[in-house]
This record gives sequence, structure tokens and C-alpha cells, in this order.
Amino acid sequence: MLIETEDLTKVYDLGTARVPALRGVTLFIERGEYVAIMGPSGSGKSTLMHILGCLDTPTSGRYFLGGNEVSALSGRELARARNRQIGFVFQNFNLLPRFDLIANVALPLVYRGSVSRPERARRARALLDRLGLSHRLRHRPNELSGGERQRAAIARALVNDPSILLADEPTGNLDSKTGHEIMTILDGLHAEGRTIVVVTHDSNVASHARRVVRIEDGTIAGDDAP
Amino acid sequence: MNIAEGLAAGLRDMSSHKGRAAITVVGVVLGVASVVTVLALMRGGEEQTIAFWDELGGLRELRITNKRVDQLLMSAAEKASERLTYRDARAIREECPGVVTVDPEITRWLTVSYGDLAYEMKVMGTNGHYPYADHMPLAQGRFLTDKDLETHANVVVLGSAYAEDLFEREDAIGKRILIEGVPFDVVGVMARKVFYFKGSGPVSGRNALEWLNRSLYVPITTMIKRFTVDDDLDGLEISAKSVALVPSLAEEARTVLRRRHGVEDFNIDAKSERMRRRNEESAFFGIIFWAIAFVSLFVGGVVIANIMLASITERVREIGIRKAIGASERDIFLQFLVEAVVITASGGVIGLVLGLGSVGLIEALLDVPTALAPGILLVAFLCAVGVGFVFGLFPALRAARLSPVEALRYE
Repeated sequence: MLIETEDLTKVYDLGTARVPALRGVTLFIERGEYVAIMGPSGSGKSTLMHILGCLDTPTSGRYFLGGNEVSALSGRELARARNRQIGFVFQNFNLLPRFDLIANVALPLVYRGSVSRPERARRARALLDRLGLSHRLRHRPNELSGGERQRAAIARALVNDPSILLADEPTGNLDSKTGHEIMTILDGLHAEGRTIVVVTHDSNVASHARRVVRIEDGTIAGDDAP
Repeated sequence: MNIAEGLAAGLRDMSSHKGRAAITVVGVVLGVASVVTVLALMRGGEEQTIAFWDELGGLRELRITNKRVDQLLMSAAEKASERLTYRDARAIREECPGVVTVDPEITRWLTVSYGDLAYEMKVMGTNGHYPYADHMPLAQGRFLTDKDLETHANVVVLGSAYAEDLFEREDAIGKRILIEGVPFDVVGVMARKVFYFKGSGPVSGRNALEWLNRSLYVPITTMIKRFTVDDDLDGLEISAKSVALVPSLAEEARTVLRRRHGVEDFNIDAKSERMRRRNEESAFFGIIFWAIAFVSLFVGGVVIANIMLASITERVREIGIRKAIGASERDIFLQFLVEAVVITASGGVIGLVLGLGSVGLIEALLDVPTALAPGILLVAFLCAVGVGFVFGLFPALRAARLSPVEALRYE
């Protein structure tokens, strides 16, 4: 089991009110699965994604990633888990504007440490090649189209060979044709055996996944596991 | 993420925000420039003082003078003492192992005439040590010798100003002048002594050593035989082999004189000691200068902290992204701290250049002595680095503590 959560809750303390975002989520995801987490905005799917991505910690409940309990890790260990185990793909790409593509894609290797500068550039170049960006290596993100940016972001997510690719509305800022291209890339990565979790409210996107988990009001409302 | 990566990131960030970086470092630039200027001025003043004392015989000298004693309050021992005499000088020369030169001095204002000219001139009886001890080179002829002293010779050496007064451009060597009617042969003329203090003040623009040029020198034995009733000295100067040996020579001389006088009715004054006191006085001005430099650097630091905090607000999203792909709090902290240090260090380099310029300008326009040394530049540069470090700490900590979820959500 790659991902295993036990009764996760998350309560936001806003001072005057305590707002529950997750009310007991228990979820299992196997290695190699292609899962869509669906739900309307405010359903708690983003909170779930943040916890699964080790960006946030649950208020209660336990989360095991690859057999290790993430909910017990220190800030530094969480950073290490994000670096080695998780590859993020965001709706708005989140590339660093002042770096060219090679530097952007190589950045996770910088934080990993113990990878030499030429080796980092080599790996980044290889991934950008695979994603059809070999002619854009020295370009900055604002010189690229949305589809190119998202492909660069996928390259960055893959550079540390993570256990899971976590995509948060990966097509949300793209036209439908480009969005389809990105989903085709994700399909290809799944075919290679990667574990992919896509968070979306778009049923077209969700239809690429093999399994759809529906979140409503902070709980799992449906899980059509095969 | 190591320091080299952070340094590269810092430089990249700075080059992409040139305007902001320039404003940020203004305070540091001025602070460093003022540190350089202040240190160069202080050092310049110190070096000038040393140069002045060196012209006066350096710091290896001790001056021994009679202590002023009120006649009415004199003790019996003090009344019995002969005060400083030429015999004391000879005793010191024979009994103090650490002494290199001993020059006894008796000075009188006497009537000196040559041809139709007659002046009241300062005549000093001394010995052959005098020009060596006081760094007085000869222009012509020779100075007094031990043989002159032994034979009470009627020979005289002229200070440069007096030589001009008496002989104008005529060659003085071999001429005969009258001192109080007694004929003396001119055997030497001293070179002119010159020292100009730079900068404003009562001594600037005038030769501070002109008084040394206005003197005649005769053998002290001749002086005692012809012009005084006894061999009482106005004072004597003795010198040690090195500045370090000055205190032990002072003790030796004190022992000899105490034994001879039976009482300590004399002062032994080390020039090096006088200079140390002078330096202590000037340290007060040093404190004021330092305070000015400190305030500029502090203000510069506060500006940097502020602008860095503002730039962090601008870069919340970048921090979120970096954290999402694996940057730890330590990584972010180091990144921002190194950036702050890179910015202030660059400001420091500019400040050094500006400081060198202002030192040159002050030297040229105000005619004030300055002295630069590598140490000064290093201290000023380290001030800049220190400011970046100290004032970068808080913003870097703020950046590191940002929650990744909130940082990513920030628009």
C-alpha cells in the first residue's frame, strides 16, 4: 500500500470559529494506481491534497506514505518527503519566473543535495527532451505557452523520480486541446507504472483516471474503486 | 542547498532587481565609506604625530629636567642637592649601561656679533651627541667633537636661520664671530629643520621646528668656563637603543641621579610616554567618528531589513513553490540570509570605492593627513557583511517560517 490514511480530520481555527475541512477520511491507494479526487470547491479536496502532498498536517488521524507515518514527521522530514516522494503539478504551473526551464526543472535536485551541477543539468535536459521542450531549455516561463509551461512543470515533478505524481487541476488554466495533451502525458506516465493522483472538479479530466474518489463536505461520498 | 548555490541565487536575485538593490544598499555604501574615511583620518593623524616625534629625535629619547620646587617649602635634602649638573651627565654616560647618547644642555641668550651686525641669540652649550640624538643633520663643516670639549675650544656651529642672519649667502665656515666679545671660529652650519602639520589649527602652515634653526652651538665646557657661574644644566636628553628599552634606561638614570642628589628633584620624561597620552586624548575623537559610522551602518541595516521584509511579501509565492518541491526551513532561511549578505557585501565594495574617493578628496581639498592600510579596507568590508548578516536574520526567519500551503495560495 502506497498511501494509507486513517480517519483524517482537519479543522481550521479561525479564532472566532472552528471550521472543519476534513471530517474523517480513510483512503487507500496502491502503487501504480491512477486516481481522480473529485468534488466541488469547498468540499475539502484541496485540504486532502495538501495533506497527501505533505504540505500540511492533519488535526487528527494518521497518514502513512510508503509505510512511514507522515503525521509524525518533523518539518524538516516533511520537506524531505515532499522532495523525494511527491511530484507536484499545479493549476497555475508555479514555475519560478526568473529561472530558465533547466534551472526550474533542476531545482528539486538542488534541495535533494549530493547531485552535482552538471548532473542536475543533464537530468533536467533529458526530462525536458522527453516532454518535447528541447528547443526551450534556456527560455523563461513567461516566454512559453501554457501547455509548454505545464509540461515543464511535469518535468520538474518527475526529476526526483517520486512515488506519487500529485496534480491539482492540471488543466484548469489551459484550453481544452492543450488540456487534453497534458492528460495524454499523464496517461502515458501511468502506463509506465507511475502512481498518479489528480484533484479536479472536471469530469473530463476525471474520466482519464481508473478510479474516482468523490469528496463532499469533508468526507468520502463515493469511491468507485475497480 | 549549500552556500555557493545560495550565493548564486542571491546574485541572480539582485541582478534582476537592480533598482531595488541599489536603494537597499545606499545606507551600507555610506556607512562603509564613512568607516574607511574615519579610519584613514585617524591613522593619518597618528602617523603624522609619529613622524613629528621622529623628527625631534624619535621615541627612544628621555628628557631629564629639574623638578620645580617652591623655595619656601624645600626640604633639607632638596636644599642640599646641586640640581642637574654637567657632572650628572658624565655620570650617566659612565654608569648607565643602557644609554646610547647623553646630551647635556645649557642655553643662554648672549650678544653675538659679526662685522657691523650684533644680535641677541640663543646659544646652547652641548656636546657631540646632540645632532645624532635630535636628528639634526649638518649642512656644512662639522659638529662639536669630544676634543673641542676637552680643550674648551672656542668653536661654534650655527643653526640655519642664524647662519642666514649673520652671513646671508656668504660662506660661514672659517669665519670668526664674537660671543659676548669672545672670538669663536665657525666650524659648521646645521641643515634647516622643517616639519609642516597638515590641516587646520594654530601650527598649520608654519614650520613647527623653526625654533631648532634659531640656535648656536658651542662646547658645553666652553660655555661653563666663559658664560656661566657653575655647571648647572637646563636639562639633558639621553637615548636608549630602542623604544622597548626606554623604561629600563629611565630606571637606570633615576638610580644614578637619586644617589647623586640624595632626593628625587628631577623629572624623567619619555617622549613615547607623552605620545601614548596624546593618543589616549585623540581616542575620544575616534569614538565620535565611530559613532557616526555606526549610526550610518545601523540605519543602512534597518533599511535593508525593511526592504527585505517587503521583498518577502512580494516573493511569498516563490517561497511556497520552493517549499513544495522540497526546500526546508533551513534552505529558505539560508537563501534569504545569503541574499542579504550578498547585497550588503556588494554595497560594501561600492562603499570602499566611495571611501577611497572621499579620502583622496579630503586629503586634496582640506590638506588633512590620511593613511590607508589593507586592514582598514578589510574592517570596513566586514562591517558591511556584518550588517547584512545581522539585519538579514529576522527577514530570513520570517521567510523560512511561512506555511507552504498559505504561501502557495497567496496571490
